[in-house]
Amino acid sequence: MRLWQLISPTLPVGAYAYSAGLEYAVACGWVGDEMGLERWTAGQIEHSLAALDVPILARLYRGWEAGDSDAVLAWTRKLLASREAAELRAEDRHMARAMARVLAELGEAEARCWDRPEDTCWAALFSLAAVRWGVSLEEAAAGYLWAWLENQVAAGVKLIPLGQTAGQRVLHRVAGAIPEAVAKGLALPDEAIGASAPGVALASAAHETQYTRLFRS
Amino acid sequence: MDGLVSHNAAKPKASGAADHAAADAASDTSGWRASLDVGFVAGNERTQLSGRRHSGPLRVQRPFYPEGFPCHAYVLHPPGGIVGGDQLAISVDVEAGAHALVTTPAANKFYRSAGPWAVQRQHLRVADRATLEWLPQEQIAFQAAQADTLTSVDLAPQARFLGWELTCLGRPAAGEGFERGVMRNRLELRRGGRPLLLERNRIDGGSPVLDQPWGLGGYPAMATLVAVGASVGERDALREWLAGSDSPCAVTLLDDVLVLRWLGSGAQEGLGVLERAWSLLRPRLLGREPSPPRIWRT
Repeated sequence: MRLWQLISPTLPVGAYAYSAGLEYAVACGWVGDEMGLERWTAGQIEHSLAALDVPILARLYRGWEAGDSDAVLAWTRKLLASREAAELRAEDRHMARAMARVLAELGEAEARCWDRPEDTCWAALFSLAAVRWGVSLEEAAAGYLWAWLENQVAAGVKLIPLGQTAGQRVLHRVAGAIPEAVAKGLALPDEAIGASAPGVALASAAHETQYTRLFRS
Repeated sequence: MDGLVSHNAAKPKASGAADHAAADAASDTSGWRASLDVGFVAGNERTQLSGRRHSGPLRVQRPFYPEGFPCHAYVLHPPGGIVGGDQLAISVDVEAGAHALVTTPAANKFYRSAGPWAVQRQHLRVADRATLEWLPQEQIAFQAAQADTLTSVDLAPQARFLGWELTCLGRPAAGEGFERGVMRNRLELRRGGRPLLLERNRIDGGSPVLDQPWGLGGYPAMATLVAVGASVGERDALREWLAGSDSPCAVTLLDDVLVLRWLGSGAQEGLGVLERAWSLLRPRLLGREPSPPRIWRT
């Protein structure tokens, strides 16, 4: 049950305000229809999230389990340094701070000190909740990807725009790739972690100066 | 050629022991190993080269002083191309107060490989009050190359750094794409041991990263320029200058690290964008007018 709460869009961390570069990608015609949204999300899950977010989420999860806050801090810094544009870093930090406050309210007092300006990231707080709420690592990683995908699809439906049914089709198809992405990401050794997505990095940087914006990234 | 190497003399690799590509390459005995260690120290009137050591076919040429204090140095790899099994290690130390501008006289070419990895490791260290401008020409991964490169930059808290990396996949002008092969390309920037930027590109030949908009969007060339010590003034000036550019490019400021990313048609266009960005940033960040290395004009 706890996993459902963790990945619910009603979790008040403000995820709906971020498009992670998709708003620019739509505005400049890189993503223009259902198939484009499917490729944009599936490609990133397979190429970047499986090679960066999932393995770091796993190390953060184990760091919390072992009470090793130095490891949590070190992996947090690596993940942030791998975010390639200012808004991607800001998004990650904002959601982490909001989540730290939510967790503190729910009785996880140790979350409170991660409500800070710089060295904090969404995956660190997400994994803290997973560990304390008894969610397994595999489920947490799948849930993390699902939440990312659901948020991207919601943004795409609004921006392109697409009908709700088209959005559901994208979710249905791309979600099928999540188990493989989790398995791949959890198997990566430390030295193989990381994957840049040059187009997303460009889109996010360009979004900073986009004339009309609905989203904060 | 004097570069044919005794493997025993070759330097151990700079990267971690667990590095996959390095391990693959190390098990292959057909390649060349080459290393170059070069240091720069501040003299009274100019920055001097110190501690030049090399093994195998890597050299640093006699330095130039076209603008007084800064030392302009060219790193040469006389064979011109890197094949599977080759390992190149370049180490640069810029000591306190020194100013080095390092470039290369030609493209770095990774040729087709039958299987073994070509590995290149570049470790750049910049001390407090020292400046490094790292401005190499492009690296080209030929069709079916297997290349693994790492440029790792370690900055002291008061170090200044402006550098770039330009990568081309295949040779579009010769009608050659990148349907086969692998280009792994890392750029890591740390200050006082803390990671500032970790970029890791993994380009598998024929894979979606080549043509999807989240990847290279069909462009065969990509570049990243990084400058530390920047603020919104430099960011905005660079943005204004880039407005209306034909190729996708964008600027972002990650704390005080300015990052310019570009995608485009090839090396000539990319070097043009990078050089003009450098010309704009150099006076603002390093307090010096642009002094383009002569080799860029030949």
